[in-house]
Formats: sequence, structure tokens, C-alpha cells
Amino acid sequence: MSKLLASAQNAVDLALKAGADDAWVNVSRERSVSFSYRDGNMEKVEESTSRGLSLRVYVDGRYSAHGTTDLRPDHLGAFIREAVSLTRALQPDPHRLITDPALFADRASIDLQLLDPTVAELSRDRREVWCAEMDAQAHRDERVISAESSVFSGHSEGVSASSNGFLGSSAGGYIGYSTQVTVREDGDKRPEGMDYAVGRFLDVLPAPTEIATGALSKALSRIGSVKAPTQRTTMVVDPQAAVSLLARTMGPASAAAIQQKRSFWAGQKGQQLLGTRLTVVDNPLIPRGLASRLYDGEGISAKPRPIIENGVVRNFYVDTYYGRKAGLSPTTGSPSNRIVRCGDKSREQLISDVGAGIYVTSWLGGNSDPTTGDFSLGLRGHLIENGAIAAPVGEMNVTGNLRQLWERLEVLGNDPYPYSSLRVPTLVFGDMQFSGC
Amino acid sequence: MQSTTPHPTSGLSIDDALSWFEVERQQLARVLSELSARGADAADVYFQHSRDNSITLEDGIISRATTSVDMGAGLRCVVGDQTGYAFTEDLSTPAMLAAASTAATIAQGSAATAPVGFHRGPNLPDRYPLARRWSEVSVTEKIPLLNRTAELTRALDPAIIKVTVSWADSDELVAIADLSGRIHIDRRPMSRLWVMVTARKGEQIQSNSANIAARRGIDWFSEERLQQLAKDAVAKTMILFEAARPPAGEMPVVLAAGASGILLHEAIGHGMEADFNRKGTSIYADMIGKQVAPEFVTIVDNGTQDHERGALNLDDEGTPCERTVLVDRGIMASYLHDNISAKHYGVQSTGSGRRESFRHTPMPRMRSTYMENGPHTREEIIASVDRGIVAESFTNGVVQIGAGDFTFYIKNGWLIEGGKITAPIKDINIIGNGPETLRNVTMVADDCKLDSGGWTCGKDGQSVPVSQGMPTTLVSRLTVGGENV
Repeated sequence: MSKLLASAQNAVDLALKAGADDAWVNVSRERSVSFSYRDGNMEKVEESTSRGLSLRVYVDGRYSAHGTTDLRPDHLGAFIREAVSLTRALQPDPHRLITDPALFADRASIDLQLLDPTVAELSRDRREVWCAEMDAQAHRDERVISAESSVFSGHSEGVSASSNGFLGSSAGGYIGYSTQVTVREDGDKRPEGMDYAVGRFLDVLPAPTEIATGALSKALSRIGSVKAPTQRTTMVVDPQAAVSLLARTMGPASAAAIQQKRSFWAGQKGQQLLGTRLTVVDNPLIPRGLASRLYDGEGISAKPRPIIENGVVRNFYVDTYYGRKAGLSPTTGSPSNRIVRCGDKSREQLISDVGAGIYVTSWLGGNSDPTTGDFSLGLRGHLIENGAIAAPVGEMNVTGNLRQLWERLEVLGNDPYPYSSLRVPTLVFGDMQFSGC
Repeated sequence: MQSTTPHPTSGLSIDDALSWFEVERQQLARVLSELSARGADAADVYFQHSRDNSITLEDGIISRATTSVDMGAGLRCVVGDQTGYAFTEDLSTPAMLAAASTAATIAQGSAATAPVGFHRGPNLPDRYPLARRWSEVSVTEKIPLLNRTAELTRALDPAIIKVTVSWADSDELVAIADLSGRIHIDRRPMSRLWVMVTARKGEQIQSNSANIAARRGIDWFSEERLQQLAKDAVAKTMILFEAARPPAGEMPVVLAAGASGILLHEAIGHGMEADFNRKGTSIYADMIGKQVAPEFVTIVDNGTQDHERGALNLDDEGTPCERTVLVDRGIMASYLHDNISAKHYGVQSTGSGRRESFRHTPMPRMRSTYMENGPHTREEIIASVDRGIVAESFTNGVVQIGAGDFTFYIKNGWLIEGGKITAPIKDINIIGNGPETLRNVTMVADDCKLDSGGWTCGKDGQSVPVSQGMPTTLVSRLTVGGENV
């Protein structure tokens, strides 16, 4: 770590020497290992160590940002000199200033527990055995055509230093498994199922074979998928699919989007924007959280903040630059762990209560307009009939507007998705527009 | 001053290329020997140096720029269908030997024959020669283009409240050394210009964007081209104020000439990538030689079109690029192969082995995918539809390889009623099934064009630039996201 720190400080010095008024440097190093096994054999082994340096320079009221992996000393020196000279060619921007040191204050001094020492000690043999076990488990059905299972892990360390006194260092790791299974069905269709788990610590993950079991059962559950009729009905969204639905909704909640007038969140602080049932807190200080941090990319000390409370907007994601442009106080420019307030019913209870509708297990493509909130998404899932999960459906779309979507949120489950920094449970929306046959 | 950009390329020799990476022939021989020390059917070292520049104009000023330099080597050892891979940004001998021995662990036999000498791979025509490399063009020459584009855009409509113009250019040097001692060299330029527009009418705000991209130099960005880009961006934005969602459900979809090639990319292109087929996971795995579409349908994936975003002189395994016919007059003709799948099927690679960077293993990928002209006309096609839509501009698409379901998202389009275009539509997803959709192509016009926008294809976490194109085409039935039922 001290070596990284020295190279970060050296780069700050080089930038100042080249004529920068201020400079901010991040240096990072990362190691990753991935084993993939397919149909009884190791398919791919990847193992690498990576490094990089990024630099933000402020020169005569002008700004630019740079990154390089070519750290040969003479090349790095030239790179930084070029960066500073390029900046002089730009136009001055009065809103672009290095982060105010007041925002560095009050950095939490807790141990976020982001690095599991047992992961680095996992032997190659252990990983290969897991892969083989997952592979065997994923093939436990004669309809399986092919299955691929992976065990992947990595850890990184990073250091940041600035010309106005910021110093920070962080280290973190992850480990995960995934399995993808393809099965045969009558005709040409080959339905696939995928499952994965990822976490900071090995001891919170399920056994690798459970992931393989999950992927196999997901693939088998797709056999005989049909297109349901075009209709308006209740939509139940699985937690894993709910992650991207909420991420899509919150994407334009940034000062950058708001100041650029490309956000349906603009002017909505304190307003009832997303129905009355959704509450989301951004909490960067959760031990072992996948997006936990003590400071953000601009050095702003991390703090938990409500974003949405019972549908009312409490905070935007405000970085220093767009904050200054839009007249908003900086919070942080990027999300950390986003925690949704859960309900108290299980998915089974919710589906039973719904009676009839469509249960979405994953999205297939689609998009939304951040300015208007209009969305249209492809989906796959199951019919809900008589309060239970019934036939698989696919080749359908659901279409609407994100604001109206959350107004139609009727109830949330008690099952937040554990393998994402966005922890959201099963969601039930009333009266959604589906297109099918 | 030491420059951080590679030397000019004209007649770039292998020593020029290696010296840029500060790698000696002898050192490379040692690394390849280590990489094949436990045996290898194939092994290669992929050296890459890229320099990317971007500039943004926002709120009337050129307020930021970025540069990024990426350099490293990816080392690969292949045994049958198995791959060992490691990369390093540190090109010193110890770092490269360590990466080589890591990648070599996939093999468990005795050493393969490593090269002792090196020679340049076959001399190939350069499909993207530039009068001046991007490394020779200074930021001060690019800035006026951004200012001019913003000015042209703002002048087009008083309702415009925000204009953002973004620029990106890139210059990349690739050198691939393989076990036979060949070193393949390519120099790959790329450039792209985007315009994002936001406009307000009363309480309503709408935004949209347009972009152009190609393996071109600065001379390509003519006044006329900037005008066209500004016009497209503004037209695509202003029409949104009048646009509505079409009805939901199944209906005929007319794919407008150009960017609609996204349908081919998703509905068939990915499914024809041979890695999915050798694993048996593609819906097209058993369809070679079979009739999959009417006889007037020919679908091509082509890496040889001059200056196209998807063009390549050679792929990322050193194989010369070619024009590959995927569907020949309705008959499924060929998959897209990299070296591993070509060996598996006992055919030649189609020059489709691509990778995002030295950090990634190559796999079969598309380059520029399009349908050739058919016997109908656009007018005939529109007139034949009683109630349906025209799909005109798109944001993204995706496919499930095995089930064959694919989608693409329409940003702008038109409603057809009684054989006539009647009203603008917006923001709907289209979903269909690949083989079914090919069977349902009922008319193809004679107006094929490649889209000039910059498309990027994602697969297994790797992004590569691609092109796509289409003549006006009628698909008799697709499921259209919509409202008002």
C-alpha cells in the first residue's frame, strides 16, 4: 500500500510541476482469478494482476481527466505533462474546482470488512473441485445439453491523493460462483437458466452446488414457454429482476441528469414522486456491503442518506461539479449500497394473495427514457394462476411510465436480493400493460 | 518530448512494433516457450497499445476532456477447446514469464515447439488508411468541430434548451505473436461524434441523441456531415413531442433501411457465433444447410468494408477478415468462427475472433452485419400493411441464444394505418423469436444502407465496435410493446 501511496503522491507532484494548479490521483492494483468448467472439463482458466493510474488536473480554471496503464517512468512523466498542456487548450469552467476539503471531514473510522483473507488462500485444487461439483450437479437431468460453471474471485487496493490534502486508501475483495445451463425441448428451442452468488466473504455464500441446482431448475422451468395474451394485469417482480427495475428508476436521480434537464426527478425534492410505498436508503457504511466505502470518488466522506421515503424524494446524487451548476449541496455523485425497506410477506404468500397475474423472473432488453420516465421492457417469467406459479411465459413486453409504475406498487416482500449492492425484495404492481399474442 | 502515442504506421515493421512495447525478439521467444512449456495446440501473445481521447461541450463551453492510455499483453494457451489466459500491463520479462506460466497451466502435456525466429504475417490491404493518424491531431483542431456542431444544432429550433456534444477518437496498435513465429500487426483508428438534445414545449421536456462513427480521420467531419448530424438529432427529439405509444400486441413491423440491422444482429447474428453452436447452446445449432428464410433473404457479416466501424484488416487472432455469408438466399450457410471453433468444426476461421482488449480472450463476434437488397420497394412494403408500425431508430437490443427470443428498443418510429404512415411513435420494446422472425420476413426492398451510428456489441462482458445495416424489410408479425388496449 505504501508503494501505491508513493506513486500517487509522485504523480500529484509531477502534475503540479507541469503547471497544474491542483491535481487528484488514484492508483489501484487488482488481482483476479476465474475458473470455468464445462461439460466435464476445465474450459478456461484466467488469472491476472492489473494496475492503473488516473489523474484529474485543474489548470487555469480548466479541467481534464486522464488514465493510463503505461506506468514506465519516462512514459508516465510525458503523459502527465501532455495532460496538463492539453487542459490549457480547453475553455475555463468556473464550476470546476477540486473538492472542498470541508467535504473530506468526518470520515467514518469503522472497519467495513471488505476483504476476506480466506479467499486469497483458496487453492487452485479447491476451486477446481467446486467447479467439478457444480458441473456434475448442473448435469443431473437428461435434458441438459451443456452447462458451464465458474468460480471467480478478486481483490483490489487503491490509493487516492490530492494536491489539497486528501489521502485515502481502500482494499476490498469478492468471491462468487455462477452456473449457466442449457436444456433441450421439443423443436429447436434450447431454454437456458442462470444462477449466481457473489459476496465479500465466502462464509455468507451458499454451497456452490446450490447455485448449480438453481440454474438447472431455472432452465427446466422454461421448457414449454408460451406467449400469453396482450392484457392488463398484476405484475409480480422477482428480487433479482427488481434490482434492474429500481436501478433504471434511480438512474436519473443525479444532479448531472437534473442540471442537464434529462431527468424526470428534476424539481421533485420533497415531492411525492414514486407512489407512497417505496423507501430507499443509500448506505455506504454497511460492513461487508458490495458497494461500501468510506469516501467517494471525489473524496467526499460517506454518509447514509435517505433517497426516497414513502415515495417522497429526500436526496439526489449530487457531485461537486453539477451541484455547483445546479445550486444543490453535494451529497455524493454515485450510489453506494441502496437498501429498500421490505415488507413482511414471502414471495409464496404474495403470489397466493395476487391470485392471477404475471410473475417476472428476468427482463430481456428494453429501455426507458430518463427525461420522461417512459419504459418498455421485454420479459420472461410465469403465469400466476389460482395463487400459484403456473406455465412459463416469454416473448412478451411490459410498457408504461416509471412514475406511474411506482404509484402502482401494492406490496413489497421480505426477501431482499442478497447478491447486489441494491437490496430490493419481491415487488407487486397492479394493473400493468403487457403485450403478447 | 517523449510522446505517449505510437509511431506512425506506414510500413510498420515487427521491430518497430516490438520496440514500441520495449520487447525484444529474444524475450518474446522465451515467453512463447514458457507459454507452450506444457503443450499447446495454439498459443499467442496479444500486445496492444491504445490511446483514447474524448472532449465534451456542455452548456456552451468545452468544459472537459479525457485521455486514456492502455497498454499490455494478453497471453493465451489453447488445448482443444480449453484456454489458459493471463494478461499483464507490465511488459518486463519477469512479469510476462509469470503470466505465461499461469496461462500454460491449462495444458498438462509436454512442451510444444516454440518459435526461435519471427517474421511478419501476410501483408494485408489496409481498410482504414488515414491521411493523418489521430495521434497527430491536436485537441485544438477538434474543438472547432464541437463548437460548430453545437451551433448548428441550437439554430435548428428555438425550443432547444440543452445541447451536449461529445467527441471520441482512438488510435490503437496491435501486434499478435503466435507459435509459428508470425507477428501480425494492425493499426486501428476510430472516431465518433454525438449530439444530445433536450427541448421544452410548455411543461413537456423531451431529449434524444444522434451520433456518427467510423474508422475515419478528422477530414471526414465535413460541414455537410455536421449539418446532417445536427438535423438528425433535432428531428429525432422534436418529433417526440407529437409521438405516442402504439397499441400493444402482435402486428406487422416494417424495419426502416439502416439501423434496423439491429434485428439481424440480435435475431440471427449472435446465434450464428460458432462458440454457442459447438457447445450446442444456440437455437441455430442444427440448422446449417436448412431453409430458414424466403429465398430473397441473404444475410452477411462482413469485416472488409473500408472505414466501417465494424471493419478489421485482421481479427484479434491474426486471421485476415472476410465477408461471411450467414444466410445465402434463404439457406443457413456458415457460422462465424474463431480459431477454436474452426478447429472444432474442421473449417477455416472466418476472421471473427475478436476481443475487447488484451485483458480478454478472443471469441467469435460479428463485424458488420446486414441484409442484402431484395426484390421489393419501400413504397410497396408500406402500402401492404393495413395496421402496423415502422421501426426507425433504436437504442439497444438483446437475445437469448438458446430460446431464440430477441428484443430491440425503438426510440422513434411511425404508425401505419391503411397502408399509409399516419403518426409518430416512441419508446417501445419489440420482442420476437429469431428463427420464427426469419421465416416471417415477407418483403425486402432494394435500398440497403449501413447505419452511420456507432454500435457496440456486448458478449460475456466484452464490448467490441460493430456496424449494421438493412434494406426496408417487412416482418409479418412481432410483439410490440405499447399501450391503449
